Amino acid sequence: MAFNQEKVLEVTHWNNTLFSFKTTRSDAFRFHNGHFVMLGLKVNDKPLLRAYSIASANYEEHLEFLSIKVEDGPLTSKLQHLKAGDHLLVGKKPVGTLVLSDLTPAKNLYLFASGTGLAPFMSIIRDLETYERFEKIILVHSVRYKSELAYHSYIKDQLSKHEYLGEMITKQLIYYPTVTREKYYNQGRITDLITSGKICQNIGLAQLNPETDRAMICGSPGMLKDTSEILDGLGFRASSHTGDPADYVIERAFVG
Amino acid sequence: MAFYVTENCILCKHTDCVEVCPVDCFYEGPNFLVINPDECIDCALCEPECPIDAICSEDDLPDDQQHFIQINIDGAEKWPNITEQKSPMPDAEKWNGVADKLKFLDRS
Repeated sequence: MAFNQEKVLEVTHWNNTLFSFKTTRSDAFRFHNGHFVMLGLKVNDKPLLRAYSIASANYEEHLEFLSIKVEDGPLTSKLQHLKAGDHLLVGKKPVGTLVLSDLTPAKNLYLFASGTGLAPFMSIIRDLETYERFEKIILVHSVRYKSELAYHSYIKDQLSKHEYLGEMITKQLIYYPTVTREKYYNQGRITDLITSGKICQNIGLAQLNPETDRAMICGSPGMLKDTSEILDGLGFRASSHTGDPADYVIERAFVG
Repeated sequence: MAFYVTENCILCKHTDCVEVCPVDCFYEGPNFLVINPDECIDCALCEPECPIDAICSEDDLPDDQQHFIQINIDGAEKWPNITEQKSPMPDAEKWNGVADKLKFLDRS
Protein backbone atom coordinates (compact mmCIF):
# COMPACT_ATOMS: atom_id res chain seq x y z
CA MET A 1 0.00 0.00 0.00
CA ALA A 2 1.28 3.43 -0.95
CA PHE A 3 1.45 6.26 1.58
CA ASN A 4 2.84 9.74 2.09
CA GLN A 5 4.89 10.86 5.05
CA GLU A 6 3.29 13.87 6.76
CA LYS A 7 4.38 16.03 9.67
CA VAL A 8 2.16 16.76 12.68
CA LEU A 9 1.46 20.49 12.94
CA GLU A 10 -0.81 20.71 15.96
CA VAL A 11 -2.50 18.40 18.51
CA THR A 12 -5.68 19.20 20.48
CA HIS A 13 -6.75 17.06 23.42
CA TRP A 14 -10.50 17.43 23.91
CA ASN A 15 -10.64 15.32 27.07
CA ASN A 16 -8.94 12.15 28.30
CA THR A 17 -10.52 9.96 25.62
CA LEU A 18 -10.49 12.18 22.51
CA PHE A 19 -7.94 14.19 20.59
CA SER A 20 -7.50 15.66 17.12
CA PHE A 21 -4.45 16.63 15.14
CA LYS A 22 -3.47 18.55 12.03
CA THR A 23 -0.78 17.41 9.62
CA THR A 24 0.90 18.68 6.50
CA ARG A 25 -0.76 17.68 3.22
CA SER A 26 1.14 16.42 0.20
CA ASP A 27 0.44 18.42 -2.95
CA ALA A 28 -0.84 15.43 -4.90
CA PHE A 29 -3.27 14.32 -2.17
CA ARG A 30 -6.82 14.95 -3.43
CA PHE A 31 -10.05 13.89 -1.72
CA HIS A 32 -13.77 14.52 -1.55
CA ASN A 33 -15.12 16.01 1.66
CA GLY A 34 -16.45 13.08 3.73
CA HIS A 35 -13.75 10.64 2.61
CA PHE A 36 -11.58 8.53 4.90
CA VAL A 37 -7.98 7.45 4.48
CA MET A 38 -5.53 5.03 6.09
CA LEU A 39 -3.34 6.68 8.69
CA GLY A 40 -0.72 5.43 11.09
CA LEU A 41 2.85 5.02 12.22
CA LYS A 42 5.76 2.75 11.68
CA VAL A 43 5.87 0.33 14.61
CA ASN A 44 8.87 -2.01 14.77
CA ASP A 45 9.67 -0.94 11.21
CA LYS A 46 6.29 -2.07 9.95
CA PRO A 47 3.49 0.33 8.98
CA LEU A 48 0.53 0.11 11.37
CA LEU A 49 -2.45 1.88 9.80
CA ARG A 50 -6.13 2.37 10.55
CA ALA A 51 -8.94 4.07 8.62
CA TYR A 52 -9.58 7.69 9.67
CA SER A 53 -12.14 10.13 8.32
CA ILE A 54 -10.62 13.40 7.16
CA ALA A 55 -12.05 16.21 9.30
CA SER A 56 -10.59 19.10 7.30
CA ALA A 57 -12.09 20.43 4.07
CA ASN A 58 -10.47 19.63 0.75
CA TYR A 59 -9.48 23.24 0.02
CA GLU A 60 -7.39 23.51 3.17
CA GLU A 61 -3.63 23.21 3.09
CA HIS A 62 -3.46 20.84 6.04
CA LEU A 63 -5.20 17.57 6.94
CA GLU A 64 -7.08 17.10 10.18
CA PHE A 65 -8.16 13.94 12.02
CA LEU A 66 -10.18 13.10 15.14
CA SER A 67 -9.28 10.04 17.20
CA ILE A 68 -10.17 8.24 20.38
CA LYS A 69 -7.47 7.18 22.83
CA VAL A 70 -7.50 3.50 23.67
CA GLU A 71 -5.14 2.53 26.47
CA ASP A 72 -4.17 -0.78 24.88
CA GLY A 73 -5.11 0.07 21.27
CA PRO A 74 -2.23 -0.98 19.00
CA LEU A 75 -2.26 2.36 17.18
CA THR A 76 -4.13 4.89 19.32
CA SER A 77 -2.05 4.05 22.41
CA LYS A 78 0.86 5.49 20.43
CA LEU A 79 -1.00 8.15 18.41
CA GLN A 80 -2.28 9.87 21.55
CA HIS A 81 1.28 10.87 22.42
CA LEU A 82 1.77 12.66 19.08
CA LYS A 83 3.27 16.12 19.24
CA ALA A 84 4.03 18.80 16.69
CA GLY A 85 6.94 17.82 14.49
CA ASP A 86 6.29 14.05 14.65
CA HIS A 87 5.90 12.12 11.42
CA LEU A 88 2.84 10.15 10.33
CA LEU A 89 1.97 7.87 7.44
CA VAL A 90 -1.11 8.85 5.42
CA GLY A 91 -2.42 6.53 2.69
CA LYS A 92 -2.53 7.83 -0.87
CA LYS A 93 -6.04 6.60 -1.56
CA PRO A 94 -8.87 8.43 0.20
CA VAL A 95 -12.27 6.76 -0.39
CA GLY A 96 -15.70 6.59 1.20
CA THR A 97 -19.44 6.78 0.83
CA LEU A 98 -20.26 9.98 2.76
CA VAL A 99 -20.18 12.24 -0.28
CA LEU A 100 -22.65 14.92 -1.38
CA SER A 101 -22.67 13.57 -4.93
CA ASP A 102 -24.47 10.45 -3.72
CA LEU A 103 -27.44 12.43 -2.41
CA THR A 104 -30.27 13.53 -4.69
CA PRO A 105 -31.40 17.18 -4.47
CA ALA A 106 -33.62 18.22 -1.55
CA LYS A 107 -34.19 21.00 0.94
CA ASN A 108 -32.52 19.94 4.20
CA LEU A 109 -29.48 17.84 4.96
CA TYR A 110 -29.27 15.94 8.26
CA LEU A 111 -25.82 14.83 9.42
CA PHE A 112 -26.19 12.17 12.12
CA ALA A 113 -22.99 11.42 14.05
CA SER A 114 -22.18 9.51 17.20
CA GLY A 115 -18.80 9.84 18.91
CA THR A 116 -15.88 10.26 16.50
CA GLY A 117 -18.40 9.80 13.68
CA LEU A 118 -18.40 13.59 13.78
CA ALA A 119 -15.10 13.74 11.87
CA PRO A 120 -16.29 13.46 8.24
CA PHE A 121 -19.03 16.01 8.96
CA MET A 122 -16.46 18.55 10.13
CA SER A 123 -15.30 18.38 6.53
CA ILE A 124 -18.81 18.44 5.04
CA ILE A 125 -19.91 21.50 7.08
CA ARG A 126 -16.91 23.41 5.78
CA ASP A 127 -17.74 22.61 2.14
CA LEU A 128 -19.26 25.40 0.05
CA GLU A 129 -21.23 22.87 -2.01
CA THR A 130 -23.12 21.75 1.11
CA TYR A 131 -24.56 25.26 1.51
CA GLU A 132 -25.25 25.63 -2.20
CA ARG A 133 -27.16 22.38 -2.44
CA PHE A 134 -29.18 22.54 0.79
CA GLU A 135 -31.15 25.27 2.58
CA LYS A 136 -30.61 23.96 6.08
CA ILE A 137 -27.86 21.66 7.32
CA ILE A 138 -28.60 20.00 10.65
CA LEU A 139 -25.59 18.51 12.41
CA VAL A 140 -26.73 16.11 15.14
CA HIS A 141 -23.86 14.90 17.32
CA SER A 142 -24.58 12.33 20.01
CA VAL A 143 -22.06 11.49 22.74
CA ARG A 144 -22.19 9.87 26.17
CA TYR A 145 -20.70 12.72 28.19
CA LYS A 146 -20.55 16.48 27.61
CA SER A 147 -16.77 16.40 27.57
CA GLU A 148 -16.94 14.23 24.42
CA LEU A 149 -18.51 17.05 22.38
CA ALA A 150 -15.33 17.66 20.40
CA TYR A 151 -15.28 20.88 18.34
CA HIS A 152 -18.28 22.10 20.34
CA SER A 153 -17.23 25.72 20.80
CA TYR A 154 -15.58 25.78 17.37
CA ILE A 155 -18.89 24.83 15.72
CA LYS A 156 -20.95 27.08 17.99
CA ASP A 157 -18.83 30.19 18.06
CA GLN A 158 -16.04 30.14 15.52
CA LEU A 159 -17.52 28.63 12.37
CA SER A 160 -19.81 31.61 11.88
CA LYS A 161 -16.67 33.72 11.49
CA HIS A 162 -15.28 31.45 8.76
CA GLU A 163 -13.51 33.57 6.15
CA TYR A 164 -15.57 32.46 3.15
CA LEU A 165 -18.50 30.49 4.53
CA GLY A 166 -19.28 32.41 7.72
CA GLU A 167 -22.40 34.10 6.42
CA MET A 168 -23.88 30.92 4.93
CA ILE A 169 -23.01 28.93 8.05
CA THR A 170 -24.74 31.49 10.27
CA LYS A 171 -27.92 31.31 8.20
CA GLN A 172 -27.98 27.64 7.25
CA LEU A 173 -26.19 25.44 9.78
CA ILE A 174 -28.07 24.13 12.81
CA TYR A 175 -25.92 22.39 15.42
CA TYR A 176 -27.73 19.89 17.65
CA PRO A 177 -25.44 18.27 20.23
CA THR A 178 -27.01 15.62 22.44
CA VAL A 179 -25.72 13.73 25.48
CA THR A 180 -26.91 10.31 26.61
CA ARG A 181 -25.38 9.69 30.04
CA GLU A 182 -25.55 12.98 31.88
CA LYS A 183 -27.77 16.02 32.10
CA TYR A 184 -27.67 18.35 29.10
CA TYR A 185 -30.04 20.66 27.30
CA ASN A 186 -30.51 18.02 24.59
CA GLN A 187 -30.63 14.48 25.89
CA GLY A 188 -31.00 11.03 24.39
CA ARG A 189 -29.94 8.80 21.52
CA ILE A 190 -30.28 9.95 17.92
CA THR A 191 -32.69 7.14 17.14
CA ASP A 192 -35.08 8.14 19.94
CA LEU A 193 -34.78 11.81 19.05
CA ILE A 194 -35.80 11.05 15.47
CA THR A 195 -38.69 8.73 16.24
CA SER A 196 -40.11 11.01 18.90
CA GLY A 197 -39.85 13.91 16.45
CA LYS A 198 -37.94 15.86 19.10
CA ILE A 199 -35.05 17.07 16.94
CA CYS A 200 -37.36 18.49 14.29
CA GLN A 201 -39.65 19.99 16.93
CA ASN A 202 -36.73 21.68 18.69
CA ILE A 203 -35.34 23.22 15.51
CA GLY A 204 -38.71 24.11 14.04
CA LEU A 205 -38.71 21.85 11.00
CA ALA A 206 -41.28 19.28 9.90
CA GLN A 207 -40.60 15.62 10.77
CA LEU A 208 -38.00 13.91 8.57
CA ASN A 209 -39.44 13.14 5.19
CA PRO A 210 -37.83 11.83 1.99
CA GLU A 211 -39.63 14.52 -0.02
CA THR A 212 -37.67 17.33 1.61
CA ASP A 213 -34.77 15.78 3.54
CA ARG A 214 -31.53 13.94 2.94
CA ALA A 215 -29.21 12.35 5.49
CA MET A 216 -25.69 11.14 6.10
CA ILE A 217 -24.94 8.76 8.98
CA CYS A 218 -21.62 8.04 10.66
CA GLY A 219 -21.25 6.20 13.94
CA SER A 220 -20.90 2.81 15.58
CA PRO A 221 -22.25 -0.24 13.71
CA GLY A 222 -25.23 -0.40 16.08
CA MET A 223 -26.06 3.28 15.61
CA LEU A 224 -25.77 2.92 11.81
CA LYS A 225 -28.09 -0.05 11.75
CA ASP A 226 -30.72 1.47 14.04
CA THR A 227 -30.71 4.87 12.35
CA SER A 228 -30.87 3.29 8.87
CA GLU A 229 -33.86 1.20 9.94
CA ILE A 230 -35.69 4.29 11.15
CA LEU A 231 -34.99 6.18 7.92
CA ASP A 232 -36.05 3.15 5.87
CA GLY A 233 -39.28 3.10 7.88
CA LEU A 234 -39.87 6.75 7.03
CA GLY A 235 -39.56 5.91 3.34
CA PHE A 236 -35.96 6.98 2.74
CA ARG A 237 -33.88 5.03 0.22
CA ALA A 238 -30.21 4.30 1.01
CA SER A 239 -27.54 4.72 -1.63
CA SER A 240 -26.58 1.16 -2.52
CA HIS A 241 -23.03 1.89 -3.65
CA THR A 242 -20.88 4.85 -4.67
CA GLY A 243 -22.27 6.57 -7.74
CA ASP A 244 -25.87 5.71 -6.82
CA PRO A 245 -27.44 8.97 -5.59
CA ALA A 246 -30.29 8.38 -3.14
CA ASP A 247 -31.97 9.80 0.00
CA TYR A 248 -29.22 8.90 2.45
CA VAL A 249 -25.67 7.57 2.69
CA ILE A 250 -23.87 5.77 5.52
CA GLU A 251 -20.22 5.29 6.39
CA ARG A 252 -19.65 1.58 6.04
CA ALA A 253 -16.11 1.73 7.35
CA PHE A 254 -16.62 3.02 10.86
CA VAL A 255 -13.44 3.53 12.75
CA GLY A 256 -13.52 3.64 16.55
CA MET B 1 -12.90 -10.89 9.72
CA ALA B 2 -12.46 -10.08 6.07
CA PHE B 3 -14.30 -9.99 2.77
CA TYR B 4 -13.79 -12.64 0.07
CA VAL B 5 -14.34 -12.83 -3.67
CA THR B 6 -16.59 -15.75 -4.60
CA GLU B 7 -17.36 -17.93 -7.61
CA ASN B 8 -19.38 -15.49 -9.70
CA CYS B 9 -16.25 -13.39 -10.34
CA ILE B 10 -14.72 -16.19 -12.40
CA LEU B 11 -14.55 -15.15 -16.08
CA CYS B 12 -16.19 -11.77 -15.26
CA LYS B 13 -13.64 -9.72 -13.27
CA HIS B 14 -15.39 -6.35 -13.35
CA THR B 15 -12.80 -4.69 -11.03
CA ASP B 16 -15.16 -1.96 -9.70
CA CYS B 17 -14.10 -3.22 -6.25
CA VAL B 18 -10.47 -2.36 -6.89
CA GLU B 19 -11.23 1.32 -7.33
CA VAL B 20 -12.76 1.78 -3.86
CA CYS B 21 -10.38 -0.35 -1.78
CA PRO B 22 -8.55 1.97 0.64
CA VAL B 23 -5.77 -0.54 1.26
CA ASP B 24 -5.37 -1.93 -2.28
CA CYS B 25 -5.76 -5.53 -1.13
CA PHE B 26 -7.03 -7.01 -4.42
CA TYR B 27 -4.89 -9.42 -6.42
CA GLU B 28 -5.51 -10.39 -10.02
CA GLY B 29 -5.43 -13.87 -11.51
CA PRO B 30 -5.95 -14.68 -15.21
CA ASN B 31 -9.76 -14.87 -14.87
CA PHE B 32 -10.54 -14.08 -11.21
CA LEU B 33 -9.80 -11.53 -8.48
CA VAL B 34 -9.04 -12.27 -4.85
CA ILE B 35 -8.81 -10.31 -1.62
CA ASN B 36 -5.86 -10.74 0.69
CA PRO B 37 -7.66 -11.35 4.00
CA ASP B 38 -4.58 -10.27 5.98
CA GLU B 39 -4.69 -6.85 4.35
CA CYS B 40 -8.48 -6.36 4.17
CA ILE B 41 -9.61 -3.92 6.89
CA ASP B 42 -13.23 -4.99 6.68
CA CYS B 43 -14.40 -1.56 5.53
CA ALA B 44 -17.20 -3.07 3.42
CA LEU B 45 -16.88 -0.58 0.58
CA CYS B 46 -16.16 -3.17 -2.12
CA GLU B 47 -19.13 -5.45 -1.45
CA PRO B 48 -21.87 -3.17 -2.87
CA GLU B 49 -19.60 -2.02 -5.71
CA CYS B 50 -19.51 -5.44 -7.36
CA PRO B 51 -22.13 -5.34 -10.14
CA ILE B 52 -22.59 -9.13 -9.95
CA ASP B 53 -22.56 -9.56 -6.14
CA ALA B 54 -19.46 -11.71 -6.04
CA ILE B 55 -17.99 -10.23 -2.84
CA CYS B 56 -19.09 -11.49 0.52
CA SER B 57 -18.10 -10.94 4.14
CA GLU B 58 -16.85 -14.00 6.00
CA ASP B 59 -19.98 -13.92 8.16
CA ASP B 60 -22.31 -14.04 5.18
CA LEU B 61 -20.34 -16.53 3.10
CA PRO B 62 -22.75 -19.27 1.97
CA ASP B 63 -21.83 -22.88 2.78
CA ASP B 64 -21.23 -23.69 -0.88
CA GLN B 65 -18.67 -20.86 -1.13
CA GLN B 66 -16.57 -21.62 1.97
CA HIS B 67 -13.76 -23.10 -0.13
CA PHE B 68 -13.24 -19.63 -1.64
CA ILE B 69 -11.55 -18.52 1.59
CA GLN B 70 -8.56 -20.72 0.74
CA ILE B 71 -8.73 -19.73 -2.95
CA ASN B 72 -8.47 -16.04 -1.91
CA ILE B 73 -5.54 -16.77 0.42
CA ASP B 74 -3.68 -18.77 -2.24
CA GLY B 75 -4.36 -16.25 -5.02
CA ALA B 76 -3.15 -13.33 -2.93
CA GLU B 77 0.16 -15.12 -2.48
CA LYS B 78 0.91 -15.81 -6.12
CA TRP B 79 -0.91 -13.17 -8.16
CA PRO B 80 0.04 -9.50 -8.69
CA ASN B 81 -1.59 -6.66 -6.79
CA ILE B 82 -4.20 -4.73 -8.80
CA THR B 83 -4.80 -1.10 -7.79
CA GLU B 84 -6.76 0.41 -10.66
CA GLN B 85 -10.02 -0.47 -12.33
CA LYS B 86 -9.88 -1.93 -15.84
CA SER B 87 -12.34 -3.33 -18.37
CA PRO B 88 -14.18 -6.50 -17.39
CA MET B 89 -13.41 -9.74 -19.23
CA PRO B 90 -14.83 -9.81 -22.78
CA ASP B 91 -17.65 -12.26 -22.03
CA ALA B 92 -18.36 -11.02 -18.50
CA GLU B 93 -22.03 -10.45 -19.23
CA LYS B 94 -22.51 -13.94 -20.59
CA TRP B 95 -20.83 -15.59 -17.61
CA ASN B 96 -22.65 -13.65 -14.91
CA GLY B 97 -24.72 -16.07 -12.83
CA VAL B 98 -23.60 -19.22 -14.62
CA ALA B 99 -23.48 -22.10 -12.12
CA ASP B 100 -20.42 -24.20 -11.31
CA LYS B 101 -17.80 -21.89 -12.71
CA LEU B 102 -15.14 -23.19 -10.35
CA LYS B 103 -13.95 -25.67 -12.97
CA PHE B 104 -13.00 -22.73 -15.20
CA LEU B 105 -10.88 -21.01 -12.54
CA ASP B 106 -7.40 -20.48 -13.98
CA ARG B 107 -5.10 -21.00 -11.01
CA SER B 108 -1.89 -20.29 -12.92
